[in-house]
Amino acid sequence: MASRKFAFTFGTAFAICYAIAVGRQLALFTVFPSLGLVLPGTVQSRDVADPALGFLAPAMYWYGWIATATLGAFAAGMISLTVPEAWTRRVWQGWLWAIPVAAMAACVKFTLPWFRL
Amino acid sequence: MTATVLVIIHGLIAVAVLGAITHQTLATWTPVRAKRGSFFSRFRSVPPASFANAFIVLYLVAALLGAIVYLDFRVDVRPQLERDGHFEALGLFDLKEHFSSIGLGLIPAYWVAWRRPLAEDLRGWRAGLTVIFAFIVWWSYLIGHVLNNILGFG
Repeated sequence: MASRKFAFTFGTAFAICYAIAVGRQLALFTVFPSLGLVLPGTVQSRDVADPALGFLAPAMYWYGWIATATLGAFAAGMISLTVPEAWTRRVWQGWLWAIPVAAMAACVKFTLPWFRL
Repeated sequence: MTATVLVIIHGLIAVAVLGAITHQTLATWTPVRAKRGSFFSRFRSVPPASFANAFIVLYLVAALLGAIVYLDFRVDVRPQLERDGHFEALGLFDLKEHFSSIGLGLIPAYWVAWRRPLAEDLRGWRAGLTVIFAFIVWWSYLIGHVLNNILGFG
């Protein structure tokens, strides 16, 4: 039962945290592959290179978003283990698919600017 | 050169992931008891639980390879696509990265749902998660192909 609680909470919390991380630009770290640099937090290219040369130092946030979501989901999963069994039985199982689907829809919204260029 | 080899391996593993999740989804949503019949009947008459562990391993390996190749994509490929104005393709690719990430977070729940012996009360979990993964895998596979082929060969 503990693994169920943890897995359920981890999956739903990961989806929520990931969507928030993308929407609010909350990367745990930023990767600059062309410079071989990994810096903590969300760092813009213009902060590590001259703005005119920003294209030479593209920033990657995806790894940082996953790290942020993993951290948040793990914390939520651990907290869920302390919740009494009687409470968790009342939780609708459909949240496990409804929340990730909602998070995916949020990601579609965040991606819309690409289609307006 | 290394990136090209990794992309090819990534694509081959994606084919296996696609096959596993498609079999499992059809077997979960439209199960049949009969072993014989049409191609479609045989396709969906597989025991769906038997694909679960293989799917998890393949999905994780595909995601890992994708994460490695993504570094080269960001430095060498994406600037060209931006210069050529393939913004819709880049948007679709961003969605691929978002969907597959959300899938990564669902892997533990998927594993619990398909752990044998199958828990009867997790039937809803299994059906819901399997169809979500089917969507993620099909989307990732198709968009990966579009991006891979968009600049042509060579």
